Amino acid sequence: MADTVLSVADARLVLDGGAGPVEILRGITLNINRSESVGLVGPSGSGKSSLLMLMGGLERASDGRVTALGEDLGALSEDALARFRRGAMGIVFQSFHLVPTMTARENVALPLEIAGAPDAWERAGAELETVGLGHRAGHYPAEMSGGEQQRTALARALVTRPAILLADEPTGNLDQANGAAVMDLMFRLRTEYGTTLILVTHAPELAARCDRVVRIEDGRIAADEDRA
Amino acid sequence: MSLALRIALREMRAGLRGGLRGFRVFLLCLMLGVAAIAAVGLVREAIRQGLAEQGATLLGGDAQYGFTYRRATDAERGWIASHAARVSETITMRSMIGVGDAFTLTQIKAVDAAYPLNGRLVLDPPDAVLDEKKGVPGAFVDGVLADRLGLVPGARFTLGGKTFEMRARLLSEPDSTGRDTLFGPRTLVSLSALEGTPMLAPGSLFDSAYRVQLRPGDDLVTLKRQAAAQFHGTGMNWTDSRRPSPGTERFTDQLSAFLVLVGLAGLAVGGSGMSSATSAWISSKAETIATLRALGASAGLVRRVFAVQLGVLTVLGIALGLLLGAGLVMAAAPQIAGALPFPVAVGLSVRPLASAALFGALTVVLFTLWPLGRMTRIGAARLYRPGRAGGWPGWGAVVSSAVVLIVLAGAACAETGRTGLSLAVLGGVAAALVLLALMGRGIGALARRLRPLGRGRPVLHLALAALGGPGGEGRAVMISLGLGLTVLSSIGQIEAGLRSAIRNDLPAVAPAFFLIDILPDDRAALLDRLAALPGVTRTETAPMLRGVIDRINGRPAREVGGDHWVLRGDRGVTFAETPREKLTAGSWWPAGYDGPPQASFAAKEGAELGLKLGDRIGVNILGREIEATITSFRDVDFSTAGIGFVLTLDPAALAGAPHTEIATVYATPAAEAPVLRLIGHDFPNVTAIGVRGALERVGEALASVSKAVLLAASVTLAVGFVVLIGAAAGGEGARAREAAVLRSLGATRATVLASFALRAALAGAVAGIVAVAGGVLAGWAVMDRVMNLPYSIAWGPAFAIVVAGVGAVVLAQIAFALRPLGLRPARVLREAE
Ligand SMILES: Nc1ncnc2c1ncn2[C@@H]1O[C@H](COP(=O)(O)OP(=O)(O)O)[C@@H](O)[C@H]1O
Ligand SMILES: [Mg+2]
Repeated sequence: MADTVLSVADARLVLDGGAGPVEILRGITLNINRSESVGLVGPSGSGKSSLLMLMGGLERASDGRVTALGEDLGALSEDALARFRRGAMGIVFQSFHLVPTMTARENVALPLEIAGAPDAWERAGAELETVGLGHRAGHYPAEMSGGEQQRTALARALVTRPAILLADEPTGNLDQANGAAVMDLMFRLRTEYGTTLILVTHAPELAARCDRVVRIEDGRIAADEDRA
Repeated sequence: MSLALRIALREMRAGLRGGLRGFRVFLLCLMLGVAAIAAVGLVREAIRQGLAEQGATLLGGDAQYGFTYRRATDAERGWIASHAARVSETITMRSMIGVGDAFTLTQIKAVDAAYPLNGRLVLDPPDAVLDEKKGVPGAFVDGVLADRLGLVPGARFTLGGKTFEMRARLLSEPDSTGRDTLFGPRTLVSLSALEGTPMLAPGSLFDSAYRVQLRPGDDLVTLKRQAAAQFHGTGMNWTDSRRPSPGTERFTDQLSAFLVLVGLAGLAVGGSGMSSATSAWISSKAETIATLRALGASAGLVRRVFAVQLGVLTVLGIALGLLLGAGLVMAAAPQIAGALPFPVAVGLSVRPLASAALFGALTVVLFTLWPLGRMTRIGAARLYRPGRAGGWPGWGAVVSSAVVLIVLAGAACAETGRTGLSLAVLGGVAAALVLLALMGRGIGALARRLRPLGRGRPVLHLALAALGGPGGEGRAVMISLGLGLTVLSSIGQIEAGLRSAIRNDLPAVAPAFFLIDILPDDRAALLDRLAALPGVTRTETAPMLRGVIDRINGRPAREVGGDHWVLRGDRGVTFAETPREKLTAGSWWPAGYDGPPQASFAAKEGAELGLKLGDRIGVNILGREIEATITSFRDVDFSTAGIGFVLTLDPAALAGAPHTEIATVYATPAAEAPVLRLIGHDFPNVTAIGVRGALERVGEALASVSKAVLLAASVTLAVGFVVLIGAAAGGEGARAREAAVLRSLGATRATVLASFALRAALAGAVAGIVAVAGGVLAGWAVMDRVMNLPYSIAWGPAFAIVVAGVGAVVLAQIAFALRPLGLRPARVLREAE
C-alpha cells in the first residue's frame, strides 16, 4: 500500500438542508494509488462533487477519514489544509471559479504566487500556451467563453504540477476537439509527472480513458471498476 | 392595471419574501436623510412661529423706534406719543457693576414706569420695585450675576459711580431673545436713576428705544410709512412685532440653512449608497430583465417595472423618515423649548415635512436615474453572455439627471433662503462626486499599470486587481466612502475652526481691555494713571462715534454692497490726523485739512464692497448725514483685537460732533484687577470690557453653534455608517467566493484577510485624500468667506477623520470577511454551482 496517495475510509458527509440534516455521502471507502486515473461517474446529485471536495480538503467528513499523501486531512487546521494543497493538489471546479478581476494569466499565476514561486508569471504564460490560450492571456474571465474559462481553470490547477488533480467535469463545457485536447493535457501530465487524476465526468470518452471508474449512486459507491 | 404595474407587483411580492434584504441600505439612508431635514425644518418652524406669535412681547411693544447714541428729542418724543396708545422708553448700555473692590461688566437696561408694555418681569422676590428708598435707587440684577457677586436683596453696589440697592434677582425679561447679553449679564434700573449719572453724557455709547402700543385702528404698515417720513435722516431705526428680532431670525435662518445643507449632504452620501443598492439589485435581476427582453418587452416597459418598485420603496422610506424626524422632535420638544430663551411651541407642521419629503424624493430620483438608464441597456443577449453592469447610462439619464439636479438646487435655495451657500454646498457635493468618480477611474488605470508590481506578491496583486479589474467594486466603495468622508471632514474642519475661535487663541499682541465711553476731558488723566500702574505696557486711544454707512455713491449702500457685515447696523467711526495703519492705496489728508470730507476705508472690506478711490461714502452719524470721498485704503488687521476702524474720516469732517474716546489697554494678567479697580473707582463712567471675557462669551455662542453642527454631522456619520456596512455586506457574497477560491489555491486565511484589508485601505486612502482636500476647501470657504473668522487647517481632525474612515472600511471589510473565512470552502463554492 506504499503507493496509496489518497484514501477515503468510511467517509460520511451530513449537511444541514432546508428540512433538517441530509446525508449526502453514506460511507465511502476508496484507495487511490499514485499516477492512477480515476473517473467518478454517477447520476446528477449523487454526491460526486461532494466527494471531490472531501478529497481536496475543502470539506470535512462528518465521519470517517480522508488521508492524502500520508496526511490525515481531518486533523489539519484550515490554514494547514490550505498550505498542504499548495503543490499537492490542483482543483478544477465545475463552474471554474476564476477570480473575475484578474486576467487569465494572473489567475493562472495566482497559486504559484501564493506558494511563493519566483517565476510565477513566466510559468503562468507558458501554461496558458499549453492549454492553447496564449492569445487570451490578457483577457478577463467575463471576456472569455465557457470553454476558454474552463481551460484557464485547468491551467491554474496544473501550473503547480500537483501530485493530485481533482477536476469536476473538466470537459463539460468543451466541444469535442477542445475536450479531447484537455483530456490529452491531463493525461500527459500524468505521464510526465506521475500526477494522480481524479475526474468527475459525464463524458464516456473521458471515463473510457481512466484506469478505474468509480460509480457513485445516492452517496454510496455502486461500482468500482478497474480497467487497467 | 398596466402591464408594468402588474409585473412590478409580482416582482415585489417575490422580493418581500426575502424581507427587503437588498433594500435595507436604501431605506435606511433615505430614512435618516429625510428625518434629519424634517427635524431641522420642524425646529426652525417652531422658532419662526415663536418669534411671530411672541412678536409684541419679545419686542416689548407693537413697534419700536430705536436711536443709537442719543435719546429722542422732545419733538420726536411728542410725535411718537401722538401716534401711539402707550409709549415706554428704555435705554441700554454697557457699564461696570462694582461691589467693594470687584468690578464686572454688565449690560444696563434703564426703564421708565410704563415698562414692560407686554409680558412681565420674573423677579425673586416677585414684588420688588425700583423706586428710590432713602435716596438710593433700586436695581434688579441678573440672578447668576447677583449670585456670583454675592449680592442679596438690600445689598448696595455701584453702577457708573453711583450707588444702587439690589432689590431682586432678575430671572427673566419678557423683551429678550437672549441675544443681547453678549456684553455682560443684565442689570435693570429706572430711567430716572440713570439720568442722574454721567453715563448718559454726550458721546456715550448707549441705545435708546421707544416701544409703542398702537392706537385702536392704527396699523403697522401705515405707521411705519409715516415714521419713515417723519424721521427721515435722523438715524432712527424701526422694528416691529412682525419681525421682532431680525438678528435672532437671521441667526436661526443661517444656522438652520446650514443644518439643512448638512442634512442634504448626508442625503447625498446616502444617495451614493442608494445608487449602489439599486445597481446591485438590478444586477441581481439581470436575468429577469434579459428574460423579459427575450420575451419581447420593450426597454421602456422594463424601466417602468423597476421604477414602480423603486417608487414604492421611496414612499416607504420617506414615510419612515418623516415619522422618525417628527418623532425625534416631538420626543425632544421639552428640551428644545427649554434651550430657547423665548417660549416656542414645538409641534408638527406640514411645510417642513413636505420639503423634507421633496428632498428625499429628488435625491432618490437623482441617484437611481443612472442605474435605471444602464439597465435599459441590458439586452436579451445577457442571458447567454453574462457580463458586467455599468457603463454609459444613455443621454436620457444624463439629461434627466441635470434637470433633477437643477430642481434640487432650486428647492435647496428656496428652503434655506441662502442661494450662494446652497449652491456652494451642492456644487461642492457634486464636485466631490465627480472628483471621486474621476479618481476612481484614475485609480483603476493606475492599479492596472501597477499590476506588474503585484507579480509574485499575491496580497498586493489581488488588491490591485480588485481596484483595477472589471466590476470596480473597490471604486464604488471609494465613491460612497469618499463622499461621506468629505462631508464629515468638511464639518470637522468647520467645527475645529469654530472651536479654535472659541478657545480664545488670543493673538500675542491682544489688549487686555477695551475701554469705552471715555470723556475726552478725562483722557489725559486716564492715560497718566494707567501708565503709572505696574504691568500696563501700552495704552492706545482713538475718538469714536457710531454711524451707519447708508449710501455709496449716492445710492442706498445695501443696493451696492449687499448684506455685507460692514453695512449691517451701526459701526464705529473715527477721525485722525495721521494714519494708524499702513496705506495700501491713495494718500492721507494733509495736516490741518479743512476741505470737503475725506475718508479712508479698510482695504479688504472696501474691496469686498467693490469700493475704489474717489467713491463717495455716506455715513449717518447722530442723524447727520456726512458724505465723504474715499481718498485712501488702509490695511486694517481685525484679528489682533486692537483698535481698528473700517472708516476713518478727516478731523474737520466731524468737528464739533460730541464723541467719546475708546482705548485699548495692554497689560499683564496680574495687572488686570488693578486696572478694573482704577477705572471702577476713579473713572466711573468708563466701561472696561475684558477682552478675555468677551471672547469667552462669543465662544459660548459659537459653542452652541458647534454643538448643533456636530449633531447634524452625526446624521451624516450614521448614514455613512449604513452605506459602509451596506457596501461591505453587499460585497460579502463575492468576497466569500473569492476567499474560498484563494484557499483552494493554497492561501491561508491571513493572506486572504490581508488582501481584503489592503484593498480596503487603498480605496480608503484615496477617499481620504479627497476628503481632506474637500474638507479644507469647505472649512476655508465657511470660516473665511461666510463667518469672517480666521481659518487654518486643522490637521488633527483632518487626519483623524481619514484614519477613522479608512479604519472603519478596513474593519467593516474584515468583519464581513470573517464569517465566510470561517466556513469550509466547499460550502461557499457549492452554493454557486
Ligand atoms: N449546501 C448544500 N446543503 C445541503 N445539501 C446540498 C448542498 N449542496 C448540494 N446538496 C445536495 O447534495 C447532494 C450531492 O450534491 P453533489 O455532490 O453536487 O452531486 P453531484 O456532483 O453528483 O451532482 C445533492 O442531493 C444536493 O442536492
Ligand atoms: Mg457536481
